[in-house]
Amino acid sequence: MNAQQERAVERILERVEKPARYTGGEMNTEVKPWEDTEVHMAFCFPDIYEIGMSYLGMKILWSIINRLPYAVCERVFMPWTDFSDALRREDIPLFSLESRKALRQFEVVGFTLQYEMSFTNILEMLDLGGVPVYAADRAETDPLVIAGGPCACNPEPLAPFIDAFQIGDGEEMMVEFLDAVRDCRREGLSRRDTLLRLAQIEGVYVPAFYRAEYHEDGTLAAFYPIEPRVPAVVRRRILKDFSNAQYPDKFPVPYTEIVHDRIVLEIMRGCTRGCRVCQAGMIYRPVRERTMEKVLEHAENLETSTGYEEMSLSSLSSGDYTCLSPLILELMKQYRDKRVGVSMPSMRVDNIVKQSLEELSKIRKSGLTLAPEAGTQRLRDVINKGVTEEDVLRAVTDAFESGWSTVKLYFMMGLPTETDDDLRGIAQLAQKVVGAYFAVPKDKRARGLRVTCSASVFVPKPFTPFQWAAQDTIDVVRVKQSALRDYLKIKGVTFNWHDSTTSYLEACFARGDRRMAAVLYEAWKRGCKLDGWSEHFRYDTWLEAFDAVGLDPAFYANRERPYEELLPWAFIDMGVTQEFLRRENERALHGRTTKDCRQGCNACGIERYPGVCPNLSMPPRKVEVSIEC
Amino acid sequence: MKMWIVLEKRPRIRFIGHLDMLRTMQRALRRSGLPVRYSNGFNPHMLLNFAAPLSLGMPGRREVVEVALAEDVSEREFTERLTQSLPPELRCVRCRAVDDLHPAPMALLRAAGYHFELTEGEDAAGFVRFLPEYWALPEIPAIRKTKTGEKPCDLKPLIHVLQADGAYAFDAVLALCEAGTCKPDLLLTSMAERLGISKPEALVTRTQLFAERDGKLIPLEEA
Ligand code: SF4
Repeated sequence: MNAQQERAVERILERVEKPARYTGGEMNTEVKPWEDTEVHMAFCFPDIYEIGMSYLGMKILWSIINRLPYAVCERVFMPWTDFSDALRREDIPLFSLESRKALRQFEVVGFTLQYEMSFTNILEMLDLGGVPVYAADRAETDPLVIAGGPCACNPEPLAPFIDAFQIGDGEEMMVEFLDAVRDCRREGLSRRDTLLRLAQIEGVYVPAFYRAEYHEDGTLAAFYPIEPRVPAVVRRRILKDFSNAQYPDKFPVPYTEIVHDRIVLEIMRGCTRGCRVCQAGMIYRPVRERTMEKVLEHAENLETSTGYEEMSLSSLSSGDYTCLSPLILELMKQYRDKRVGVSMPSMRVDNIVKQSLEELSKIRKSGLTLAPEAGTQRLRDVINKGVTEEDVLRAVTDAFESGWSTVKLYFMMGLPTETDDDLRGIAQLAQKVVGAYFAVPKDKRARGLRVTCSASVFVPKPFTPFQWAAQDTIDVVRVKQSALRDYLKIKGVTFNWHDSTTSYLEACFARGDRRMAAVLYEAWKRGCKLDGWSEHFRYDTWLEAFDAVGLDPAFYANRERPYEELLPWAFIDMGVTQEFLRRENERALHGRTTKDCRQGCNACGIERYPGVCPNLSMPPRKVEVSIEC
Repeated sequence: MKMWIVLEKRPRIRFIGHLDMLRTMQRALRRSGLPVRYSNGFNPHMLLNFAAPLSLGMPGRREVVEVALAEDVSEREFTERLTQSLPPELRCVRCRAVDDLHPAPMALLRAAGYHFELTEGEDAAGFVRFLPEYWALPEIPAIRKTKTGEKPCDLKPLIHVLQADGAYAFDAVLALCEAGTCKPDLLLTSMAERLGISKPEALVTRTQLFAERDGKLIPLEEA
């Protein structure tokens, strides 16, 4: 950035909301000088600073890349509209926080895909940063645009914009990837040859080397490589030695408040529970635990380097961590004197000793959050949520007796096979939770009962047993929402529901094919961005975009897909097999549950790879109830 | 004992607000492992206070921060350990140990020095040329905006120094205490009004804080 632009940026900062989003310079964010490194990567989070800075995956990869002697990684976030408008007006390209370099100056520009509603932000950031949004329009000197994260498990709606996807765990893959980028640059390889080399790395998918063909009715007819040297099936990358994988010893510590402003310790990756609605539970298999020694080591490093006053554990289901109680007690013991609070996003009901529960409540008495997901046992069996009403009531009673008075209950509506009885079941369960509170003697319970019931709209996701299911239409969702609103008119209970149009679009992108890219582009061209923010979400514009490219959102969201249909993501081997998912879907529709695979392997597909699933080498174990995720 | 920290807040983080600065200093002190004293009571907090919050957008060269200590630490050790644990855009200029009974910096504060850098141009040059004439006025009526409304006041006694620094910049020392305060912005507005132009764009840096001894201003950090 030249001096004149620097001055213009300073002037812009004077006028925008929360200018500190754009100024960087936080603790632990110093990186190597630009000139001393060969490969420069911009790590882009397609949402605003406060959201992106809270995200653990970015901290992990940011620190891994910056430990590579030849590479530097800088952060870029989606600017709010006031800032992006000003950048366009002053003709200043979107720049990185660390050294204020334009996106187009980096060799690699990487996006993390956390939720579908951030996709327009990717196009916006590329465009603001001076990078052509379509991969086909990029010149030899333009950056390689890459993407990874959970939404990369169906990369197709983004295929034309992204040069290469990284599918699966990034810790090792990112290093191999950047090593290869460096080698290709040294050898002076062309963009195409570089991509060809990158496509050889396990987990990497280069969409330009594949072709999709469609039937008359719009379903996928064929999907195949058009370049003989790339794999027909892209295999997801799985980190085997999770315990010893690199973990940051420093987190950037923002000056301003962000969403999760604390030390986060990842204790486990993957989940054995097998909830059929949960994509994470399927795509992060197998379950891998980090040893307690490692976790304590990470805690110590981060406590020293950040000065944070709070730490929390992260995983899909922390209650399943083998040494949870000893770990919590040890953390509390070590950090009490240092005035560091230990909080857990979720709490295993049975297994944590009550005493430690009480100790926790001394530090932070935040609300208890439970996710029964469905209102009746029948429907909970369909989604394989191994939780009974008694479990829920025991958990809340426990909490009420220990002084909690705020409970959040999470449900989904629009689940496969749902009927009005299931919606009424939600209200009945909420009523019983209220009853459980009043059953606790007055002098033993805290005052001010607050039960919040949130019902999100079910979005069928790829690589789950419900990947073939139809989503309820918006009209049906609205009818159900208003019914539920009536049922939940209970004193002490608040009802929150989600906007059905957002969930509808999520469903389109989650299971979209390559043609959805045109809708995305069209919507962005018409001004859609920051779609995750209700004040910016423009449903009508999205419908216009579908119209303009001649696609029907209902085709993607509301259509039940037959098993024979070729799914746009079927070329990816995620670990879990299509056969397993189909089996699970059949069981679901027959109301049959599947046991937690710690009680015995369910042959999800991971077993095909020798030595990958640690569970296989362990005897069957008893499993506790888990209601929190 | 208490330690006075003279702190530089660099321009890059001039948009970090006061509450965020407090939290940032608390975290830096926690990282340093220095024996900071906490308040008693149910929710103990670090005994840390700034002489005067900086307005949003203003860098500070020598801000004064006081922190109470649970054990004595030498100035040198304190400076070293704090320096290592400060974020890159905050710098510990120096430290000074004071007695527990020493008044808080906030109580001693009387005035602050500012450096005004105007956007270069003919308007800016005219503005700077106008300084002597403006300061020579016998009184300078102005409207001060306070929490309770607008109040008429005389700026003249609130301006201690007003001096050009080259063609487009100048320095001022302005009162900053209970008895009367002239904010840099008010000075710019008042001068602009008299010149009949709109308020010029300026990057204002707070360069120094002052206390008073024997009727003279002395650097706060020495008081
Ligand atoms: S291979 Fe078996 S034990 Fe391992 S995750 Fe899959 S079902 Fe569970």
